[in-house]
Amino acid sequence: MKKMALLAATSVIAFLSVNAAQAQTKGGVIDVATIGEPPTLDPMASTADLVGIITQHIFETLYTFDAKWGATPLLAAGLPAISEDGKTYTIPLRTGIKFHDGSVMTAADVVASLERWTRIATRGKQAGEVITGITATDDATVTITLSKPYAPLVALLSLNNAAAIVIPAANAAQDPLESFIGTGPYKLQERVPDQYIQLVRFDDYQSLGGEPNGYGGARNQYLDEIRFVPVPDPSTRIGVAVSGQYDYVDQLPVESFEQVSGGATEPVVLAPFGWPVFMMNTKEGLNADVRVRKAIQAALAPEDMMLAAFGSPDFFSVEAAWYPESFVWHSNEGTDAYKPTGDTEAAKALLAEAGYDGTPLRILTSRQYEFHYKMALVAQAYLEAAGFKVQMDVVEWATLTKNRADPALWDIYITHSPFLPEPSLMGLMSDTSPGWWATDAKHAAVEAFNAESDPARRAQLFVDVQKVIYDEVPGYKVGNFNALAAQSPDLDGVTPAPWPYFWNAYVTAQ
Amino acid sequence: MVRSALNRILGMLVVMALVVTIVFVIVRVTPGDPAAVMLGPDATPADIESLRERLGLNASIPEQFAVYVGGIMRGDFGQSIFLNMPVTEALLQRTEPTFFLTIFSLLIATLIALPVGILSAYWRGSIFDQAATTLAMFAASIPSFWLGLVLMQVFAVQLGWFDASGYGGPGASFAERMRHLVLPAVTLGLISSALITRFTRASMLDVLNDDYVRTARSKGMSEPRVVVRHALKNALIPILTVIGLTAALLISGAIVTETVYGLPGVGSLIVSAVLRRDYPLIQGALLVVAGLYVLVNFIIDMLYLAIDPRVRY
Repeated sequence: MKKMALLAATSVIAFLSVNAAQAQTKGGVIDVATIGEPPTLDPMASTADLVGIITQHIFETLYTFDAKWGATPLLAAGLPAISEDGKTYTIPLRTGIKFHDGSVMTAADVVASLERWTRIATRGKQAGEVITGITATDDATVTITLSKPYAPLVALLSLNNAAAIVIPAANAAQDPLESFIGTGPYKLQERVPDQYIQLVRFDDYQSLGGEPNGYGGARNQYLDEIRFVPVPDPSTRIGVAVSGQYDYVDQLPVESFEQVSGGATEPVVLAPFGWPVFMMNTKEGLNADVRVRKAIQAALAPEDMMLAAFGSPDFFSVEAAWYPESFVWHSNEGTDAYKPTGDTEAAKALLAEAGYDGTPLRILTSRQYEFHYKMALVAQAYLEAAGFKVQMDVVEWATLTKNRADPALWDIYITHSPFLPEPSLMGLMSDTSPGWWATDAKHAAVEAFNAESDPARRAQLFVDVQKVIYDEVPGYKVGNFNALAAQSPDLDGVTPAPWPYFWNAYVTAQ
Repeated sequence: MVRSALNRILGMLVVMALVVTIVFVIVRVTPGDPAAVMLGPDATPADIESLRERLGLNASIPEQFAVYVGGIMRGDFGQSIFLNMPVTEALLQRTEPTFFLTIFSLLIATLIALPVGILSAYWRGSIFDQAATTLAMFAASIPSFWLGLVLMQVFAVQLGWFDASGYGGPGASFAERMRHLVLPAVTLGLISSALITRFTRASMLDVLNDDYVRTARSKGMSEPRVVVRHALKNALIPILTVIGLTAALLISGAIVTETVYGLPGVGSLIVSAVLRRDYPLIQGALLVVAGLYVLVNFIIDMLYLAIDPRVRY
């Protein structure tokens, strides 16, 4: 039964994308149930997915991602011209683009916005380390100069969280942002915290021509209004999905699939959605020893961990490659150390070699995401079988985000993420993110990867990065998991995506 | 009377000063960091540090306390870190659903509890009494989130009579907004009715055996008149106390119910403030709730004085 329903859900998606070109009608208001109230509506100021999901309708970036996760122009008129030495990016801008306040976007706005981005956004600061200048060459061209070649730049400019949004230069000094004026297809009408965020169609929006292509291509404004309503309780989200109170319900627990199938909205499965990761503290404590980390890698049994976490193989897959097949970054090379059912004997040998003295291995996790906790419980059993003493530090999420910044407090912490379109965005690629992985082998692989601008060669270079990850175990990717949402049968044109968007969506019956 | 009132007010001030201090300390010793929550999962430690600086979280604890107390003296509860608005304004925005939810729940609770409690006492030991006592026991033990989800499942999801979540969209009329309060009010009303029922029954039992009730009966007064005019009037003090305390409890006890039903009230504001470590907002909200408790207690005390001339503080 579940298999059938899942098949039906997946085919609904296929049907939707085929039919997208037909029968769109203008008009209608949709209510979208989200997981809560966003901490801010300034997408530069936060890396939270929820912030990106809502604000990507209001603000736009120079580039965005197409259906195959390649960068594609949005406010830029084309991909950047990159100089021979890889240090100068010349970006042509679209002209005549209007902000929600009626003013016209110029190169000066873009420069001021990008400077703000390098000043306050987490990802902007990351790029800012190599950016030496952002200048307006003329009214419709911006030039970015770098101290060394940095290939992830275009991907960073495309992402919707800690995003390089373009805002009027006059607002660029605001921190926190107070005027939510962007160029997006929908503009902010009203925000009542914890009640709704109301977006209405921006009539002067200029969509790119052609067909929609992922986040790129045409952005059609069929809907009059989009309202994001926080429904923080997961059981309530299941309830509203079954009752059909909202047109789209984001982030349902996957185990509610059958319950939702029987209700007024249809389940939408995004498979695969992302990875759960065990991050290792390479700086202090037990896991500073790579042999201990390798012992953990051998001991863990992802098949059982994923099954405990997600309930049915319909909702996850066990895969060693960091990226699934749908990404250019996919490769199985160098992943032999990943054992679906674990290798307790190998783990024991590695542990003996490391001279393990019985110090408890501290796993920092929370029950904010129940699947983190369930994975931790199974991991504990396998680690103990291999001879580890395990200490579970189960705290609530805000405490976890604080404690993980202190290397004295943990050995492993559990997190997850949607598949990030650009591997450089992964936490462990940065030397300073919790885990503090910084070795010569890493730097050699990552620097080669970051310096190469040719997409095909970059994919090959990522294989080397993946090999080093398996070799030095700064983190352990458990597998791929799916995401579940629900949508009204009257709502069409929504493409399943890790950060759902509702331009191009339309209602068929009103 | 005036002297008693002044004594009580003095006591209230001491309690509030203690609340201010305790809340401040609890909030600071709880681990977690508003800056880390705000910046999202991929923020770097350097980003978090600079935001902490901007939010004034790097000042010493006594310094922060001085600023905080100084603000309260001037009626300034500070600025919510996440909502980017004054705490008083954030709280005022959320009073409507919480206020009406409290009124409706109390109304439902009282309308159930008073008749049931009185009849239980009157027919002590009867099947009605036993059934009512058992049900009250049962209702008192139900967790509110569970009852909330069950009512939602039946009346919102299955029958579709009400919305399961929210408080209406832009331009929702007052009637529409109140409609969203029906299920949460029934949830809280049913649960609170248990305690009031038990107090009513116990209090009535006490007075029904008193001499003046027997006297009233022997004068040939009708039974309803005996029960309502003579017995209930004298049994009212403890009942009033428990109703008042329930009202205070509902203001904060609605925390779970408001979250389950996605209501933008004071309770859900407290939950999100705690999860985000929005220190000024947690402090302000807890202070208001504690203040209401103290105020309700004060009003009850004053009512005692009015109802029973023998009472002195």
